[in-house]
Amino acid sequence: MSDPSRDDERELVERAKGDPRQFGALYDRHFQQIYRFVYSRVREQTAAEDVTSEVFMKALKAMPRYQDTGRPFAAWLYQIAVNAIADRYRTLKPTQAIDDFHDLSVAGPALEDLAAHRDELRRIWALVEALPHQQRTALVLKFQEDMKIEDIAVAMGKSAGAIKLLIHRGVTRLRDEAATLRPVE
Amino acid sequence: MNSYHDPELDDVLQDDELRHLAAVLRSGRTPEPPLDEAFRTGLRRQLMQEAWAIGEGRDSWWRRLFAPPGLAWAGAIAGLLLIAAVVVWQAGQPEGGLTQLVVSSNLDGKNSVALAQPIFVSFNQPMNHETTQAATQVTPATNVTFSWSQNTMAVQPTGGNLAPNTQYQVTIGPSATTAAGQRLSTPQTITFVTQPPAPPPTPAPTPRITPTPALPEKALASLVGSASLKAQWSADSSSIYYIDGKGALSLVQAKGGDVQVIAQDGVTSLAIAPAGDRLAYVRGDKIEVLTFASGKTDELAPTPAAVLVGWAKDKVVWTAADGIYTQADNGLARLAALPATGVVAAVAIAPDGAHAVYTQDQNLFVLDLATTKSAQLGPAGATFRAWSPDGTQLLYSAGDNLVVADMAGATQATLPTSGEASWSSQDAILIGSDTLLYEVHPDGSNGTRVYNGTYHFPQWAPNGAAFAFMRGTFLWVTVAPALPPIPPAIDQAATVVNAFMDARQKGDANLAGTMLDASGKQAYGQGGLDLVVTGDPKFSRYYVLTQEMVGTQPDTARFVVRLVLSRGKLDVMSYEETLTLVRDPTSHNFLIDQATGGPHRDLGKGAEVVNVVVGQDNVKVTFDSDLDPGTIADGVVILDSKGKQVSVTTTYSNKTVTLSGLDLKESSSYRLVVLSTVRDVAGNNVAAEYDLDFFGPSEKKHGNHRDSVTSPSPTPSPAAQPS
Repeated sequence: MSDPSRDDERELVERAKGDPRQFGALYDRHFQQIYRFVYSRVREQTAAEDVTSEVFMKALKAMPRYQDTGRPFAAWLYQIAVNAIADRYRTLKPTQAIDDFHDLSVAGPALEDLAAHRDELRRIWALVEALPHQQRTALVLKFQEDMKIEDIAVAMGKSAGAIKLLIHRGVTRLRDEAATLRPVE
Repeated sequence: MNSYHDPELDDVLQDDELRHLAAVLRSGRTPEPPLDEAFRTGLRRQLMQEAWAIGEGRDSWWRRLFAPPGLAWAGAIAGLLLIAAVVVWQAGQPEGGLTQLVVSSNLDGKNSVALAQPIFVSFNQPMNHETTQAATQVTPATNVTFSWSQNTMAVQPTGGNLAPNTQYQVTIGPSATTAAGQRLSTPQTITFVTQPPAPPPTPAPTPRITPTPALPEKALASLVGSASLKAQWSADSSSIYYIDGKGALSLVQAKGGDVQVIAQDGVTSLAIAPAGDRLAYVRGDKIEVLTFASGKTDELAPTPAAVLVGWAKDKVVWTAADGIYTQADNGLARLAALPATGVVAAVAIAPDGAHAVYTQDQNLFVLDLATTKSAQLGPAGATFRAWSPDGTQLLYSAGDNLVVADMAGATQATLPTSGEASWSSQDAILIGSDTLLYEVHPDGSNGTRVYNGTYHFPQWAPNGAAFAFMRGTFLWVTVAPALPPIPPAIDQAATVVNAFMDARQKGDANLAGTMLDASGKQAYGQGGLDLVVTGDPKFSRYYVLTQEMVGTQPDTARFVVRLVLSRGKLDVMSYEETLTLVRDPTSHNFLIDQATGGPHRDLGKGAEVVNVVVGQDNVKVTFDSDLDPGTIADGVVILDSKGKQVSVTTTYSNKTVTLSGLDLKESSSYRLVVLSTVRDVAGNNVAAEYDLDFFGPSEKKHGNHRDSVTSPSPTPSPAAQPS
């Protein structure tokens, strides 16, 4: 049995491919998740707005070339977003790695603050922020955006196996980092 | 949480601790990021504009197909036929055709939209009212009601008016359906900006009473060889008291008629009391005071003898050879001495009895009777001409000009012509001569040659409409046209602010710079504020948030101007500049003397203050949104200069919070604070605390507008008193 929501999305995509003026429906459907994802990466509202604008503008212009590979349309948008975020930071500071931006150092005051509050959820997500960007992206897409491994693979331009490896390494590193922060009992 | 299970990750998360972490990550999603709804809708609009551009560009392949010359004509003919067919077909169709639902509004894209009107949204097909109304969203948050007329929906703010200075967005969402059930394919947004609020009513100038019937030029009485006109109007402007060449004091009705003689001879000076109830005149070496109501005449016989007579409120004031005197309980009192050296002569006593003008040799002086200090008026040879009705300024001739001076002798304005003059209660100065009558405002504006001919010694009636004058040896009377009123000083300053902001908006730094004084230029100089605002988002509009006069001598006005920055059509940010304008002593124009900038505020994130009006006992704060009334009382407060909260009574109606019961001290500083606890009706809190500094309003009037001379109740013309 086919997924009705996927069928609905396919129809929207086909209409937008034929007439760009129909792209608004796709925008309405995916804006929130793309914006949320972008914001989770850049952590700054104006930057998130800029990147989100770029993502949807690129998507609109590239619609005629979009090929339905059976993956959700969102995976394609995430792919554009991942590239746009990387491009943005390359443009801004070529010598600085993306992880240096908004890097929440484990020893930083924000984390101390989090540890002081013993708020596990926030602490873990703060630790996610400190992960290498590929691992972080994979974890955000998997656990926050609830995407399938195959879709994340499309978004990040990697194989499913590579995504699993990124997730494994990311979660393992979180475990190690969390252990160092755990108060001595 | 340990029960996390995801088949996709079974092979990589085999450790319990890793599964636990995965469960935490899954369950503990980060909170939704801050989102500017205006950004979401603005981006959508940009995308749709781009989509239309792409869509329209797609038919270019047809042009390429028919590009070869051989096919061009055939293509053109076919195209014409096709267009003609479409036109004929579409003529019978509603806009947008039968399948496309089109939403439009005459307000879309408009600026300066009037506040008292509904928002009309038109559809090209009959709509399902219920779904359309439910799909309609208005930002800023506004309570609205709906009504329909055929395919047009009227969206009416429940409070009555739209908010001023506000960008509205009315979005019809995709859940709107036609009567036939067709859904709107994409949300449609109507964007417009409203105009500023109506200015508070300015006090109307004292109504000018046109005599009925209007007076044509009329010779009223012979002055029997007098070389000048010594006359004064009755308080009700109905009659004129005058002294003829033989020293007779007489009364004549302005409409004409018999002359009534009050004193047969020997009268040299006269003055009617400010209350209009008594007439004092110098006759021989006495002062006689006629009370109109009783017809009784009292006498004063001062020593030394009186020369000129006047009034200080209800007391007679007079000049004598050695000084200025007034009545006292036990006789008389000398208010001030006149100089003992040179040839000294008193010339005039001010209408309020607080100053006198005298000459010493060839020099003209104004004497303050309270301080007994004198100030010279102009160069040697200057001639006194007239007092302002309130006695705070005067006119004297110097060379070919008339000079307006204050009581310290400081020049306030120079008028471009000279002659005998009179200053009216309507702030019009009449200047008469052998050949013309000229009328002008005290600031030199609206100068007009009124009549050609001989008009000596013009004298305004208290109503500021009729005037008496001398022609030949007769007393004449007629009327003069009203000059346009002088704008209040705050309006003059506002004109400069608007011109300044307009120039900046056009990027004309040179023009904007002409409205800055040296200090103002520093404020917009290097390291200061941007005179021309560039960059993204773009400076798209401005409005005056509040304005007030904060000082006199020189006139000083304070404006808070909000600059709105936009992306595309959408307002996204604003900041404020506080401008202090000072009247330039030379040009008398306002110039911007100080300017400070405030922080940038993101728009579309809760209610914004869009207008503040500071009154003597209340402050009215208008928001762009309908507010949750329960959040206002503790959320909109006023602090005094020490930061202490001022006790107020808070009321709320139609987006306006009124803080009343105030006793604002003139020139004291206050701060209006809107706390972030204030919520709009959609539940959005004010994004960040908003502060606005202001001063207690001045009770005095400013600029060239003066309190009109209050006309006392008309007094009946006295019966002629035989002397």
